[in-house]
Amino acid sequence: MSTDESTSNVDADAEPEPEPSVVDDLHTDEWESEMQALLEDGDYDAELGLEMAKDAQRLVAGELDEADFYERYHEAVIDEFGVDDRPIAEAIEDADGDRDRFMKSLEELENGELDRREAMKKMGAAGLFLGLGTWATKENAEGGPDAASVAGDGEQGEGKQYGMVIDLEKCDGCLACVVACSQENNTSAGANWMYVFTYEDGHQEEENYLVRTCQHCSDAPCEKVCPTTARHKRTEDGLVLTDYDVCIGCRYCQVACPYGVNYFQWGEPDTPESELDYDHVYDGRDRRVDSRPPKGVMGKCTMCPSRQDGKMGEDKVGTTACEDACSMDAIHFGDMNDDESDPNQYLEQVREENPNDREDYPNRAGDTVSTFRLLEELGTDPNVVFVGNEPGPNAKQVEGPVKYEEIGEVDRRKEVLDDGTFAGGVSP
Amino acid sequence: MSTDTDTPSEADILRPIRSTSKAYYALLAVVSVAIGLFLVGWGLQLRDGMIVTNLADWGSGGGVTWGLYIGAFIWWVGIAHGGIILSAAVRLLGMDRYKPVARLAELLTIAGLTAAGLYIIIHVGRPDRIVTSILLNYNETIHTSPLVWDVTVITLYFVMTATYLGLTLRYDITRLRDQLPDRFEPLYRLMTIGYTEKEDEVVERMVWWLALGIIILAPLLLHGGVIPWLFALIPSMPGWFGAIQGPQFLTIALTSAIGGVLIISYAFRKAYGWDHIITDDVFRGLLLWLGFFSLLFLWLQLQQIMSGVFAAPIDQTYATDAKLSHPVYWIAMGLVATTLAYIFAQTLRPSLFSLRRSVLAGGLILTATLLEKIFFVVEGLMYPTFGLYDAVPGSYFPSVIEMISIVGTIGIVTLFFMVVAKVVPVVELHAIEEHGDHDHEGDGEREYEFDDATEEPTDDHTTEANPEVNA
Repeated sequence: MSTDESTSNVDADAEPEPEPSVVDDLHTDEWESEMQALLEDGDYDAELGLEMAKDAQRLVAGELDEADFYERYHEAVIDEFGVDDRPIAEAIEDADGDRDRFMKSLEELENGELDRREAMKKMGAAGLFLGLGTWATKENAEGGPDAASVAGDGEQGEGKQYGMVIDLEKCDGCLACVVACSQENNTSAGANWMYVFTYEDGHQEEENYLVRTCQHCSDAPCEKVCPTTARHKRTEDGLVLTDYDVCIGCRYCQVACPYGVNYFQWGEPDTPESELDYDHVYDGRDRRVDSRPPKGVMGKCTMCPSRQDGKMGEDKVGTTACEDACSMDAIHFGDMNDDESDPNQYLEQVREENPNDREDYPNRAGDTVSTFRLLEELGTDPNVVFVGNEPGPNAKQVEGPVKYEEIGEVDRRKEVLDDGTFAGGVSP
Repeated sequence: MSTDTDTPSEADILRPIRSTSKAYYALLAVVSVAIGLFLVGWGLQLRDGMIVTNLADWGSGGGVTWGLYIGAFIWWVGIAHGGIILSAAVRLLGMDRYKPVARLAELLTIAGLTAAGLYIIIHVGRPDRIVTSILLNYNETIHTSPLVWDVTVITLYFVMTATYLGLTLRYDITRLRDQLPDRFEPLYRLMTIGYTEKEDEVVERMVWWLALGIIILAPLLLHGGVIPWLFALIPSMPGWFGAIQGPQFLTIALTSAIGGVLIISYAFRKAYGWDHIITDDVFRGLLLWLGFFSLLFLWLQLQQIMSGVFAAPIDQTYATDAKLSHPVYWIAMGLVATTLAYIFAQTLRPSLFSLRRSVLAGGLILTATLLEKIFFVVEGLMYPTFGLYDAVPGSYFPSVIEMISIVGTIGIVTLFFMVVAKVVPVVELHAIEEHGDHDHEGDGEREYEFDDATEEPTDDHTTEANPEVNA
């Protein structure tokens, strides 16, 4: 990507000598270096950005026509960001909504007590972000500076982050998801990547369930401690996976994971290699991260990367085996950073269905829905959100409505593993 | 101060190389069997997988994922610190009384680190990938993985100690060359390559700096650093988490290191009649150090118990209660306390000192530290913060294959000493050259030596320690 070219384009197209204006004396050295520093934090051409920022201020001051603005930067932006192949008119049209709001807020500011210059300084920067935000659309997920990320808005993470919303109040403990997971992944007996259990917590009368998948943490301790990078977070969608061809089986990930979601392959897997489906075993990057692990390496819930990569058919993209199996509609898999995704839509729907009485009690929260993330206080930034009661520190698992043995699964894996222990296992 | 001890001679320190007793062959047989058993066990593990151990998944699985192998790994790294203590004493603090056992202790470092390294290999599910998977991703993993930090520091420690040992051996080999067996000639030539007497002074300074480096590296960065950090940095395991593990691990390591040096020194003294080289004075001094570190060991346990029972968070309370209600914990602490009591008593009443008892103290400490280390690893994993699984706490008792690994690694370390003692002098020439200057309390100490008057060299005291250690 030639930076020189793109900026010289801009220079050539720029109006020869803009009339001296109120904007010019805003462009102090201080302002420039401030902007430069801001822009250089991103990966994109700082000079181009600075030019755009200046012109955005002119735009705001009415010294530059908006069509000119877009025309001037269209090509340069394509060069720089490799996006925006839409016609200019369409781009402008799309931007109109934002622009209207933008102009409106400027007017508001002007009517207020804010000094016009101060406001323009601020709005100049904002205009830049508006411009960049319009061009670098969200589809360009590989780190494109969308409005939120440039502005350092930490509300929602960047890019795609798969996760789940699991409604524990809908779960009835049937274990269908457990079976579906073990069948899909051919896991060995007792390696319950999906583990559903009933627990009691103090004096609570009702039955509580916990549906425990891997939490696919954004700050995963398992990934951090891995001495080999076998345990990694996929950049494209944030799934935490184990590369079965790299893992040395030290089990440090299992030690560091606060949730106990890892299941090591202690002996020969129940399902031999020959019975595995190649498309299921390798993900879209052709790395061996899906299906059951071979002997001597670590496995855990993957949230079905080969499905997400379209290797199991287009209709399975965006689904997981456990989600498909859940007849109670308790499991909702999708991009946690996308407001329109299934999990976020579901969460919104549940909240809407359970409004709080805010007429009489205006201080109350908007809804009565209880949500939580497991052990959030440990700083793992988990990506599974539960709807329902959070288990307290003294909660303890009790027998559930359906036993693992009844559905042909094994609950306590050690009982199976003990058969393989040399000279018999001793469980005092 | 007079002494009826013979003046140590070159012949004395060459004795292990020149003569081989029947007991040597007997011990060799025992050690070979131990190593053989271990290799068979490991072979089975490689064939069938880690399932031959009694480890399992924590969580819904009902087990613990780390156990004896990791405990024994820490134990061996701890024992390896013997070399540090002695080198520190001799090189940096000028405590020449320990010079005769300094090289033995340095060899113990090499052997202990080898055993520890072996345990990393035994512990993993795919040992064949260790080199490729760790080395090829080293530039990334070194930033965040405590396990990679461990591998790094242990390797550095090993290289520094081996260099140190290699440098100091050049002096001895050159001077004793005529009396050393010809069959190792190529090795001696390699080890003394380019030697001139001019280098002695330079080497002296180099080893001083190396010793200083190792002394900073090993206790502060290794056993008071990256080894405890494997555990202390995991916030979801309350039995492990916290800043005290650094000092706690270090004190435990130092006790086991002295235990190891006591046993090795005793074995060589008995086997080769080195009463006048490795004197009682050495043992008395080591015992005092052992007492000091044992006291710290127990004191740091007290700190953990107090903060764990008084008003600790729920998860930590569970972990501490569980620890305090387990017999293994009290056996380990009892052994340390007993050793400490004996050392204290023999300081007040010198007549209570004997060589046998000092070696026994070393054995008890080694047993205690091995138990404590395995217990620490296992208990930590049994009482995680996220304890609502019915299968938490899990259960664990080492399988036969796991237990044999202890016997096997002790066998390997013993064999290492037996082989090295046949090739190079395990007591420094400097130690006997300067022995005359050393002023030890002749009469006072000999009085209490009635205990070890047996004539027959019984150089199997390291293996005698095995049953205790395996208990």
